[in-house]
Amino acid sequence: MTAEFNIDNLPFSLLNEEEMRVLKNNLDIAYYQQGEHLITAGEPPEGLFIILKGQVREVEVKDEGEDEDEHVFVHYSNEDYFGAWSALKGKAIHNFVAEEETIAHILPTKSLLELVYSNPRFGDYFSRTLAAKTELHDEHGGEDQGMAEFMLAQVDGECMRDPLVILEGTSIRETTELMREKHVDCVLVKKGPRHGIVTGTDLLNAVVLKELSRDSDVSEIATYRLISVEAGDYLFNALILMTQQHIERVVVMKDHQLLGIVELTDVLSYFSSHSHVIGLRIERAKTIEDLSTAAHGLNDLIRSLLSHGVKARFAMDLISAMNERVMAKLFTLLVPEDLLGHVCLVVMGSEGRGEQIMKTDQDNAIIMRDGLDWPDRDAALQRFTEVLIEFGYPRCPGNIMVSNPYWVQHLSDWTSRMDGWAASCEGDAQMNLAIAVDAKPVAGNPALFKAARNWFLRKLQDNDVFFSHFAKASLEFDTPLTFFGGIKSKGQGIDIKKGGVFPIVHGVRTLAMQNRILETNTFKRIDALIENGTMKKNQGRDLVEALSIFVQIRLRQQMIRFDNEDFNESPNMIIIDELDRLDKDLLREALHVVKEFKKHLAMRYHLDR
Amino acid sequence: MIIPRKFRVMREKKQHREGPYGHLFESYDGDEVVSLDCETTSLDVKKGEILSIGAVKIKGSRVKTSDRLDLKLKPPESLCGESIKVHHLRAVDLEGGITLEEALPQVLEFVGNRPILGYYVNYDIKMLDKFLRPAFGFGLPNKAIELSHVYNDIVKWKHVGGDVDLRFDTIASKLDLPILQRHTALGDAITVALMYVRLKYGQAPTA
Repeated sequence: MTAEFNIDNLPFSLLNEEEMRVLKNNLDIAYYQQGEHLITAGEPPEGLFIILKGQVREVEVKDEGEDEDEHVFVHYSNEDYFGAWSALKGKAIHNFVAEEETIAHILPTKSLLELVYSNPRFGDYFSRTLAAKTELHDEHGGEDQGMAEFMLAQVDGECMRDPLVILEGTSIRETTELMREKHVDCVLVKKGPRHGIVTGTDLLNAVVLKELSRDSDVSEIATYRLISVEAGDYLFNALILMTQQHIERVVVMKDHQLLGIVELTDVLSYFSSHSHVIGLRIERAKTIEDLSTAAHGLNDLIRSLLSHGVKARFAMDLISAMNERVMAKLFTLLVPEDLLGHVCLVVMGSEGRGEQIMKTDQDNAIIMRDGLDWPDRDAALQRFTEVLIEFGYPRCPGNIMVSNPYWVQHLSDWTSRMDGWAASCEGDAQMNLAIAVDAKPVAGNPALFKAARNWFLRKLQDNDVFFSHFAKASLEFDTPLTFFGGIKSKGQGIDIKKGGVFPIVHGVRTLAMQNRILETNTFKRIDALIENGTMKKNQGRDLVEALSIFVQIRLRQQMIRFDNEDFNESPNMIIIDELDRLDKDLLREALHVVKEFKKHLAMRYHLDR
Repeated sequence: MIIPRKFRVMREKKQHREGPYGHLFESYDGDEVVSLDCETTSLDVKKGEILSIGAVKIKGSRVKTSDRLDLKLKPPESLCGESIKVHHLRAVDLEGGITLEEALPQVLEFVGNRPILGYYVNYDIKMLDKFLRPAFGFGLPNKAIELSHVYNDIVKWKHVGGDVDLRFDTIASKLDLPILQRHTALGDAITVALMYVRLKYGQAPTA
């Protein structure tokens, strides 16, 4: 029997044939009336429950005599399972009550244990860590993995070239001969303890333009500020680095030892998508029209990355770098060159964190050197905002854009205003502050931005009252766990930004500011927080996974709506009915992680809910 | 129809009370019921042959799918186009089946003296009796529970006038139950078991 029992669902699909037989031979079906307890807190549960039809809520046990409404944790509906954790522990801590008539399969504890012991991967699935679960999902993902693996290729022997290293004192002629012989386009020069790089172009410039003699020491013309990646880093990051720095090769280091060189052509042969082509188009754009074509190509790039199963988290890195390049390029096209050293264009909010995928609202500002006089400022900046809108970056509803003079400030005004926000308890001020601390310089003189940021972080040091207040916002919205299956009318959704993304982003932001972590990206902030011991490794990993899941699911639904030209729904709306069971499962787990994190924040900052 | 069966059971009880199957004739005082279904080649008991037998125990509000009987029999010679249409069972589907002689003791062992539940259960009982009697000298003495009667008894109070629709699929959908594998003996037995549990423990459906 049990064709109705869907064995294709995780974790059951992890079982082998023999284990599947054990499963099928031991399943019972039970019928529950509305209000009946499937599992009662404090008692050993019968086993693992898998709902065939119906709905079950998981609720906290009420103390005797309390009149409060019971607190519902989660709803479970068709094909969901529960009770494994309680069964493995031998005792349930929550009540599981039938919300409506429910028919459920029951796998007795004894058989569950048998399967958990015989199949550790199946067992792992019931361990509570989200990170372990997503790993299983990924392994299980199937054919789409090809491209993802491709994108997740690491900097290692395969794509790396052995460097040609020559010693100080080698002449330009000898160097050229050597390069010709070895068919390479660049060499590393060892000068004392340092390495420098010399490319074919450098040699050409030295001999032709600077008219150096062919016998002169090649170490004179080398560049010693090497841009490097760590061995084992994503090849992807090497590409981003090259795009950002406008270079064609990076040096691979391991434990401060030089390991090799990765060339742009090597990386490109790894990536079949046309990300770099767009990068080049942006770079070469001489007019706004050129730039416009390139900017519009970004949507296709996003789509192709996603359809190849690249994790949203990694796509974000690339797309953010591209968006920044577009803005930086446009800025240099519109702002007179002699002014560029005195102003700094910053992107803020999710753009500053590098966490956007689709082109979303503009959030940008300008910090100017104190006393700078910029006569045509308003016209140029107005134009900047308008062109970005033409490129498909919508206007910011809060008007946080350079076309708004409020967000174009001299350095000292900028800092004193941040200070004012920090001292204020008002919602607007707190929101502006949250947006501004995620700022990242993209064009102009970054020193202006750094000065403002460092001043501000120093100022806030040890101001526990501020952090406590600032953290509060992450608890503002309820985490919508009860929405699952609890939705009565079809097609309703949850606001994933309020319920999941914002609490993580804001909580991590607060922790990062307090620890004076300069990264703006939430994932990198979490890494840094783990590194300095503020956050436990497990918690950090779970937060990273949870956030990735939110982003991925949101993006997938956004893409569908984009294709259907349905622009009515807010991009943050997740329609539960449209998710498949795996996604629902992951989403629920991820929201659990958020809930735990909020508890953690409340404890740490002494916040009462 | 029911009265002759009663007499026959009484007579057979007298004959077999002391025999190896005497326990089948004892009255049952447990809380289990066996839901049973046979797939056959014909709806006429005289012509029909049994293709497969499925049964599952019900204890309280629980369908013990872990405690079940799923027997496939060797294809009888009479397996013809007509029954293939009904059951979608072809001779090839019955490969590796067992003989009726092997199957019947297993049925008796599984059912014991528990009441037997079914949809048009008398047909299934008569079918089994047809083969049991020549081999064992008695038919199934168990109490029979007819699902459509149970349903009718509950629904008719809610239903003013007219006849109650007692078709299998109608009952399943009125009870808002998923139909498991229709037209496999075990699948039907489980579905009937679920209907029974639902009728016995759930709220009465609106007709």
